[in-house]
Amino acid sequence: MSFSFDLYVQRRSWLHVVDPRVKLAFVFLGTLLMLTFKNLFIMLLSLVITHLIIFSAGVPGHKVKWVWKTMLLINVLIPTLWVIFYPEGPALSAAEGPTVLFQFWFLKVTALSVVRGVSLALRLDAIAFICFTWLFTTDQASLVRSLVKLGLPFEWGLVLAIGLRYIPTFYGLYTVVSEAQQARALDLTRGNFFTRVRSHLPILVAMIISALRTSEQLARAMESRTLGLPGVKRTCLRDIRFRLADYVYTALLFALFSILLTLRFQFGLGTHPLYLF
Amino acid sequence: MQDLWYSYDDEVTALRGINLEIEDGDYVAVIGQNGSGKTTLVKHFNGLLKPTQGRVLVRGNNGSLRDTVDLTVGQLAQTVGYVFQNPDHQIFCDTTRGELAFGPRNLGLSEAEVKRRVEEALTRFDLEEYADWPPAILGYGLRRKIGVAAVYSMQPRLFILDEPTAGLDHRSSMELVELIGEMHRHGHTIILVTHDMKLVAEFSRKSLVLRDGQVLVYDDTRNVFKHSEVLRDTQIEPPQITVLAKRMAPYGMPDDVLSVEEFYSAYCERF
Repeated sequence: MSFSFDLYVQRRSWLHVVDPRVKLAFVFLGTLLMLTFKNLFIMLLSLVITHLIIFSAGVPGHKVKWVWKTMLLINVLIPTLWVIFYPEGPALSAAEGPTVLFQFWFLKVTALSVVRGVSLALRLDAIAFICFTWLFTTDQASLVRSLVKLGLPFEWGLVLAIGLRYIPTFYGLYTVVSEAQQARALDLTRGNFFTRVRSHLPILVAMIISALRTSEQLARAMESRTLGLPGVKRTCLRDIRFRLADYVYTALLFALFSILLTLRFQFGLGTHPLYLF
Repeated sequence: MQDLWYSYDDEVTALRGINLEIEDGDYVAVIGQNGSGKTTLVKHFNGLLKPTQGRVLVRGNNGSLRDTVDLTVGQLAQTVGYVFQNPDHQIFCDTTRGELAFGPRNLGLSEAEVKRRVEEALTRFDLEEYADWPPAILGYGLRRKIGVAAVYSMQPRLFILDEPTAGLDHRSSMELVELIGEMHRHGHTIILVTHDMKLVAEFSRKSLVLRDGQVLVYDDTRNVFKHSEVLRDTQIEPPQITVLAKRMAPYGMPDDVLSVEEFYSAYCERF
């Protein structure tokens, strides 16, 4: 498939020029907030906001669609498993006992477990979109530079950046390898769950061999460009520097974080999966 | 192929109304610039891609025409073999023999038949020496050959080869091209996706030129290389020997020379 799997979208939007450290703070604080709240509507609001941010930065729709497609399995699995294994009460209203929506044999589906399952899935979506806001608008070089500026050894930053960069590449590799094996009559749809898992083995092994080959070539390419030369301090052609706008964004970010955290712990905002207070 | 259209994610239209018929026993080269739709087109033959609009019909081993929409890739693999450009995308077994047996076993053939086909493929592709070697540790040329042999052992009537000579040295390249020619002589239909114009000129009987997802010309290779204006449009450079013969046309050389051998005999006749 001649489709680009790069996460970074090259644009010159307001978000692209924001210092990567500010975006990193957004990811960190945003994720912390999402883990703090449990409310369905807060997750939905966060998703709306991140979508607005992503689209305002000129990220095309098919990239957003790709994220949702990637999250689809999680979005189905979490609410389903939660409902099955964690039937809970009390009721959504003040009435006594859990509101049971459906009961059959050992399976008891309560309204609260459905809401909690959905809000948990949405929480992961929200965190994913917060991270993708950063990855869609920050190129690899800026990403590494920001982490190194924050004190991370350069090699570690590079390892992280390469790891993130290769997630979509390996997704693309999976598609190609799967096509190549299916072209040799490998049927991935036949049989029960275990047979189908087993029939993925030829794909997995071919992928591991390809991944090892790629990592070896990548390591050699980097080494041949003298990466890791002892006793040499790396210089930087384009350094990153905070602009006035970056100070304003950072201040706004921390102010918003403090307000929301106060609302959460002082006034109990978003502790219930359905009710705000 | 009847009025074939294909779009990726409903956003990028890769193929625009392709009408095409490939006959049994043909040797066709699919050429065009990067992004012209070559790979997208051939992936429709074995059902890896299904048309957004239009139909792709493949004649089955029993002679009946079947719509690829109604068949899985695995079902179509009995008739259409697809050799991917990178052999590492398919190699996973611990022996070459196992790699060659994977496809026939998936087709549900008896162990005796699988063994017969594997031995035949090993002999035809001169791989007996490496039969018990792990293919992943062999050189690129050999891995490429194993990739083709692994599809050959399934005995499809139609072979699609994506850039078969890419990354190979001249000797390995010629060896592989010779094997493809032999498969063609044994009655297999061959479809090559390639940028190697020398390979196209010397071996493929017909050429299909694509531009922006449309067929620009589909004709005998000799005629295609005569359409210099079409080739210029698609930035395809004919082989040097064809260009030289064209330049010498005012001096009596034929303008449809495709190989050095043809050039040599035409030259000897005239000068």
